[in-house]
Amino acid sequence: MGQNIIKIKHVKKIYQMGKEVIPAVDDLSLNIRKEEICCLLGKSGSGKSTLLNLIAGLEKPTSGEIIFHKKHMERMNEDQLASFRQKYVGFVFQSYNLLPTLTAMENVTLPLIFRRVPVKERNELAMEMLKAVGLEERAYHKPHEMSGGQQQRVSIARAFINRPEVVFADEPTGNLDTKTTYEMMDLITGLAKKHKQTLVIVTHDLELSEYADRIVVMQDGKIDHIEERTAEKERGSL
Amino acid sequence: MSTRDLIDMALRNLWKRKLRTVLTVLGVVIGTVSIVIMISIGIGMNESFRQQIEQWGNLQVIQVNNYGAENDPTKKIKLNKETLNTFSKMEYVEAVTPVVTEWMYLTCNKKYLADVSLVGIWPETMEAMGYTVVEGRTLTAEDKDAIVVGGAVAQQFYNPKLNWEMRWNSEPPTVDLFNDRITITYDYNYGTRNADKKIKDYKVNVIGKMSDSGSNSYSVVMPLEKLEEIQKEKKEYEEKMYGSSSSGSQSKSKEKTYQQVSVKVEDMEHVEEVQQAIKDMGFSAYSLTDELKAMQETTKMLRMVLGAIGAISLIVAAIGITNTMVMAIYERTKEIGIMKVIGASLSDIKRLFLAEAAFIGFAGGVIGAVISFGMSHIVNIVAAQQASQMQSSIPIWLYASAILFATFIGVLSGYLPAKRAMRLSALTAIRTE
Repeated sequence: MGQNIIKIKHVKKIYQMGKEVIPAVDDLSLNIRKEEICCLLGKSGSGKSTLLNLIAGLEKPTSGEIIFHKKHMERMNEDQLASFRQKYVGFVFQSYNLLPTLTAMENVTLPLIFRRVPVKERNELAMEMLKAVGLEERAYHKPHEMSGGQQQRVSIARAFINRPEVVFADEPTGNLDTKTTYEMMDLITGLAKKHKQTLVIVTHDLELSEYADRIVVMQDGKIDHIEERTAEKERGSL
Repeated sequence: MSTRDLIDMALRNLWKRKLRTVLTVLGVVIGTVSIVIMISIGIGMNESFRQQIEQWGNLQVIQVNNYGAENDPTKKIKLNKETLNTFSKMEYVEAVTPVVTEWMYLTCNKKYLADVSLVGIWPETMEAMGYTVVEGRTLTAEDKDAIVVGGAVAQQFYNPKLNWEMRWNSEPPTVDLFNDRITITYDYNYGTRNADKKIKDYKVNVIGKMSDSGSNSYSVVMPLEKLEEIQKEKKEYEEKMYGSSSSGSQSKSKEKTYQQVSVKVEDMEHVEEVQQAIKDMGFSAYSLTDELKAMQETTKMLRMVLGAIGAISLIVAAIGITNTMVMAIYERTKEIGIMKVIGASLSDIKRLFLAEAAFIGFAGGVIGAVISFGMSHIVNIVAAQQASQMQSSIPIWLYASAILFATFIGVLSGYLPAKRAMRLSALTAIRTE
């Protein structure tokens, strides 16, 4: 496997709920390798989502270091984080998070709009992405005219459109039925592998972890253990 | 985010909430209309003063007098040729002429008589001094025996042979000033049996007629040289008849000075400046601009109150915009979060909300300007029907600044909400379900 793309060193995230202090992530160190599919597995409240938010720069750690591309994310300001996300990161959410007023096509182009990509170019790219997720026929539909699975496909297209180095998926199939879940996971992992992207999936679903190269099992804000599945996975795909 | 995309998205967001947008814009429209109409009435007020004063004479002409100054030994100033020369060399001065006025009589076909005020000026300055003709032409340097009559002069003629009662009861004589034989005389018994044959009358040609309303309607404008010639002969006659007066002999020895001089300034803006310069020389100077200033000063308060009424409604509209934008942020918290997560910069978010607010202001401003245009006409029509002095006048700059100002108000009102949107945490925003 390639070198480490993200280094997490002794990261702590403490939430203050009234008088109670909750350490959501407690002195955690972890390296995410380039081009791997890493699954953060854990029960609700294990701190896996918080960890993802920290790595993605949506939240700042209470202490510790998160180094992405040799840059300290915990030291970036909001604007730097925004441009960092623009360049390197894609997101897939459990609740799709599409903009309801925009068509599928426009939702997919949104990251490119913020990057000031010209209309023609971004529309071509978006169409290409929509084809890749099998939704070219629904390109001009609004989110409310689509099923959950279709909406998630749009959001996947959006996450991958600017070829980010890392795609974060937070419970990407939480709202979907079993059949669609597998379709979706095949799609995400397929795209990531195809374009040699790193994929970090957060889930509580043991079955989803089947797709991962490495499973990081979390409990109470700490890493319980790490399962390497590379060999097995490679055997399966042979 | 490019400006084009920004505008596109802002418009789309506004369109999505049509009713709310329309209502907010309506607030701005009302604000804009009220402020524009209020200001326009203020401007119209000034304009009607100006028109009123212009009836009395030209605003760009300064009247210079030597009241008191000549007899004051401390001030060695005289309204003589030399001083006139100085005036004409001053900056912004277009023309200078002495003004001599004298009451005499015009005669028509040796039968009819009219009392008129003769105004003697240097003929070449007539046009510059603001005298305008409705028929014929103004005097030029070549004119020696020509006169220009006020529009009401023709109706002034009467038959001197008739007594007052008979004059009242008879039709006034019809006089064709341009073609009849017209003369000037200082014999007040002209045409009666007491007429003094020794007094000659001076034949003149009427070359132009001024308006029959306004300050010059009863005047007769003529070349100064001719008037001075008549005055001189009148004085000689009077001295012969009644003996010389002391003041007359005194002034004879001195060089010629004038009682009154008119100075025409190139444009309105510099009237005050020139006037002050002349005052500084020790003369008394008066122009109708003084009147205008005084009138404008007295209504300044009223105009300010009108403006304030307009401003209040625009402030209310501004609060409306802020409210709409704050509501939009609450509604779109999640949307803002998503945009932030997928790479919108803080300034993108801020600009988006500012653009939306600016559009509300701009739309309100444009619609407001259009409605003001109509309203202004209605105000003028109603005012005309009521024979009211009130009028509304909207110069182009007022439309332009109304639109700009409304847009600015929009941006200003949108600023706090935009700032708030910018500060929303991306994470809290996407957590909102």
